[in-house]
Amino acid sequence: MNARILRYLQSDWAGPLLIIVMGGAVIAALKPTFLSPFNIQVLLLAISVNAVIALSQMIIIGIGQMNLSVGAIGGLAAISFAGMMQVWELPPLMAAILALLIGLTGGLVNGFIIARTGISAFVITLASLSIFKGINLGITKAQPFYHVPDSVKAFGNTVMFGPIPWLVSPMVVTVLLVFYLLTRQRVGRYILAVGGNLHAAELSGISVKSTIMWAHAISGILAAMAGIMLVARLQLGQPSIGDDWLILSFAAPVIGGAVLAGGHVSVAGTVLGVVIVAIITQALVLFEIDPFLVQVVLGGLILWAVGMNRIREVRFQKSLKRI
Amino acid sequence: MTSLLEAQNISKSFPGVKALSDVSIHLAAGSIHALLGENGAGKSTLIKIITGIHRPDSGNLLLDGKPFHFSGPREAIAAGIGVVHQERNLIPRFSIGENILLDRLGGSLFKPIDYESVHQEAKGWLDLLELDLDPRTQVSQLSVAKMQLVEIAKALSLKSRVLLLDEPTASLTSHETVALFSLLKKLRDDGVSILFVSHKLEEIQEICDTVTVLRDGRNACDSQPMTNVGRQDLVRLMIGRNEQIPNADLRDHKTEEPVLELVKVATELGHADINLTLRKGEILGLYGLVGAGRTELAKSIIGRYRVTHGDVLVNGQKAKIKSVADAIDAYGIGYVSEDRKQEGLILIHSVLDNASIPIWKRLSARFGFLTDREVIAAINPLVEMLEVRTPSLQQLVGLLSGGNQQKISLIKWLAANVHILIVDEPSVGIDIKTKAYIHELLRKLSDEGLSVLLITSDLPEMVALADRILAMDQYRVKGEIVNNRNYPEVSEKIMGFIHS
Amino acid sequence: MRFYQTNEFGLFALIILFGAFFALATPGFASVFNVFSLTRIMSIDIMIGFSMMVVIVTGGLNLAVGAIGVSAAMACGWLIEAAGVPYPVAILLALAFGAFLGAINGILIVRSGLHSFIITLATMSIFFGLMIYLTHAQAFRVIVPEFAQFGKLRLFGTVSALLIVSCIFAIALYVLYRFTPLGRQMLAAGANAAASELSGIRVDRTYIICHALSGALAGAAALMVVARNGAAIPSMAGHLGQDWLLPAFLGPVLGGTLLMGGRVSLLGTFLGSALVTMLTNGLLQLRVGEFWIQAMLGAILLFAVLLDLARRSYLQRRGIY
Repeated sequence: MNARILRYLQSDWAGPLLIIVMGGAVIAALKPTFLSPFNIQVLLLAISVNAVIALSQMIIIGIGQMNLSVGAIGGLAAISFAGMMQVWELPPLMAAILALLIGLTGGLVNGFIIARTGISAFVITLASLSIFKGINLGITKAQPFYHVPDSVKAFGNTVMFGPIPWLVSPMVVTVLLVFYLLTRQRVGRYILAVGGNLHAAELSGISVKSTIMWAHAISGILAAMAGIMLVARLQLGQPSIGDDWLILSFAAPVIGGAVLAGGHVSVAGTVLGVVIVAIITQALVLFEIDPFLVQVVLGGLILWAVGMNRIREVRFQKSLKRI
Repeated sequence: MTSLLEAQNISKSFPGVKALSDVSIHLAAGSIHALLGENGAGKSTLIKIITGIHRPDSGNLLLDGKPFHFSGPREAIAAGIGVVHQERNLIPRFSIGENILLDRLGGSLFKPIDYESVHQEAKGWLDLLELDLDPRTQVSQLSVAKMQLVEIAKALSLKSRVLLLDEPTASLTSHETVALFSLLKKLRDDGVSILFVSHKLEEIQEICDTVTVLRDGRNACDSQPMTNVGRQDLVRLMIGRNEQIPNADLRDHKTEEPVLELVKVATELGHADINLTLRKGEILGLYGLVGAGRTELAKSIIGRYRVTHGDVLVNGQKAKIKSVADAIDAYGIGYVSEDRKQEGLILIHSVLDNASIPIWKRLSARFGFLTDREVIAAINPLVEMLEVRTPSLQQLVGLLSGGNQQKISLIKWLAANVHILIVDEPSVGIDIKTKAYIHELLRKLSDEGLSVLLITSDLPEMVALADRILAMDQYRVKGEIVNNRNYPEVSEKIMGFIHS
Repeated sequence: MRFYQTNEFGLFALIILFGAFFALATPGFASVFNVFSLTRIMSIDIMIGFSMMVVIVTGGLNLAVGAIGVSAAMACGWLIEAAGVPYPVAILLALAFGAFLGAINGILIVRSGLHSFIITLATMSIFFGLMIYLTHAQAFRVIVPEFAQFGKLRLFGTVSALLIVSCIFAIALYVLYRFTPLGRQMLAAGANAAASELSGIRVDRTYIICHALSGALAGAAALMVVARNGAAIPSMAGHLGQDWLLPAFLGPVLGGTLLMGGRVSLLGTFLGSALVTMLTNGLLQLRVGEFWIQAMLGAILLFAVLLDLARRSYLQRRGIY
């Protein structure tokens, strides 16, 4: 029994969970409105979108790379979604599916170039980020699409029951699917294998090239989904969607214990990381602290989290105790 | 016996070095075939060509008499060729079972991976090797030896017809080796063709049926039955008839000043109670098996790692070596790294830039600037003295042969005017001629006053060069003897120290 | 060596070619005012390129170039306006501040052993956030007239004085890498840190100095922006300074500074940044939708790295790595 508890405590999500519970308790004690249904709803809306953004990056961290174009793909999908409904008058579901396909394509472009050329993902996604953003601006001329159907607006802003918004449901489904993928599906295991030891994965006969393409394709779809969800929540197709996703997309997985070198990520940890960021952002507002300081806090969280992960890695390496 | 797998007249060059020249090997079904050769003889290259990691420049590869060429590991595996490489290739955070069955995990779009059956099947393969391990264990928790056995289990699970094992017993205990050998014999009886690469002649003689020896990228012998070849023959084939690098005369340094002393030294890497005295003009050998901690000790002496206890004395004075820069500038100690390509040289920089690194500061001392002309003036004489074969000083070091690269490594320290030089595995991957040259050079320099700490796993080299020899094992000094150049006697004593 | 000459020469040829093309294709391009404006923007982009280049040389990245630059510029503005410091002193202090922020990056990277990507991602956020907080997102508009005057200064009637500043920095950097031990140590540490360490180079100290240098150069670039605008505006480099990332990489990569470190081409970075600025300006003059420029720049970066790859496999076939 004690061994099991110890194992749980050492897992990636235990630390963040503890922080959430304690932090949440402290904030609630000081500002009771924190736990009001309205506030919970606001929190959940933010968490729903951000979780999908974080998962989009988490997959790429899992394979040992980084995806700077997460926001650009999300933004392009978002304006496409809104634009298709407004200009081509497509029904929301169809527009959503097409927007997801755009995300898939964007991801595949990244994955294909990275896999075939072996050039660093950082640079490729820096280039593609500009290209996707450029296409976005070219289409929208920096003007938002205002005519979003009421059904979509409602989905992004009303509740299922209690304080739980509808927007939570696609997030929960996504989280479960990603978890299932990484633990019980070959593609997911191969992504983690390539991230864990690329050479060994290759020698075992895994196609590193296709695994990379799969990972980026999935990342693209997830980014697009987040973009679609944001359109629903913001109630317009804003071209600037995605511009500020970069920091968050790294902060949450890293808080959740992800190893940047690849091979180890935690879905639960990432989601909890998103929750932490949402709570902190909220708290800054509640305590009337300058919202600009959110950036500082996010950066500080990243430093702290990678520092902690690094210490754990070093201890892990040292402890490679020989049975 | 017809050959199951054949390599005929394989040649392979990498820029700067001809790795294989007209090499042939014939693996018969149901046999264990030894592949012998010194470091750099071409064994690993041959294996990589067979498994498709490299393409041969010329020659044929035949499987079942039909030519083949694999473009990647997957094809090799599918064709029934399994490999266990020298370095470990496992996914650290995956379980043993998942690692073994990594390419056969099962599951599809709608069916999750059944880990129960994965681990159960893995257990079967572990049992074959008499490995009492829980297949759910994360591989990172295992010792290097157990990891190697897991990889062997993995190769077995592929039910290969040809099994290539590169130094499979390097980290195994004798008990584990026994279990492995009985298994290999069983596989042989079942018709599997096994290629066994090893340094350990006793093992080769125990288990192998045929032997191929490579030397300097060529066949010294091709697929000879073991019955025709004795131990001495094997040694002679491996090191070559004219290898007789002349033993240097005996010298006595008892009356010389100690230039380097380690007194009860412990390091952050795990050394403890290290006592060592190096006298002026002496070549002190540091012998040990892989993992003994010699390179780590050398790196601690030059300041790369911390000395946590005890004293290091240079020329009789206590030395505080806080960094490698300290060791070079303040104490005149240099270190020729064993890993020439990764740690010894900057392959993408020129001969000139590589050889002059330690002297940049000195050359620019007056105004803070230095020009190529000054650097050339300092380096060129040494390049000529050591007869380095390079088209120009601007030649990128990565393009030079191993022997010439090693000369550049040495020039670096000669230019820096060190008076204590630690040389780590000076002859790895170097042709015989340069090896002899380097031996002579070290001998001459020490006669002129350079004090050398020689680290080598090549016992004949040690006996030929060193004046005194320390034996190290498990990060401790186990014994010391004065070298009388009598190989059997000295080697027995040293081995005695190590195994005590 | 001949290979690199080819690369710089190629860039130079492209500049001449495109320059001629744009001059013929649209009347506005070759106008005195446009050339002046072009050289002004070019000098800034070149400095931004240098600021990233010095870090790439050591095999790392500095995502915080924009954030550090803006912070230094705002510090300068504050010093002049709120603290009444004479502007030459304020400039020096601002550059020192940029170096200081860069050094923080360097120290964090070296102490933690973490990749420069994630560290500078975090500090980009922290530095920018603190800057915005401290300035309340307000610009400093009462910068001394000398700034704006220098920004408007023309040589030979067409070339901006700022370009001379960039040239001076270029020469200084060239001297650094060719004629000083520090510069050579940076190249060695970038090419192979382990071998450099074992040869007596203090690699950690070298990395920190590189990052400090990067910060100072970023500060210089931002001050040039201030001279151009006549004011120190917090959004000069976009949200978190992100807008500088693309030009920061384009110059060095087009110019032949390999991303893996150990090699540098100053002339190449100079010409590469110049070429990109010219292309952007030319396309704008041709009334190509300004919104498509960004996509085009991304495409150029992609092309540049593919070129970098081709270069690397050329070196590989010649047997370096």
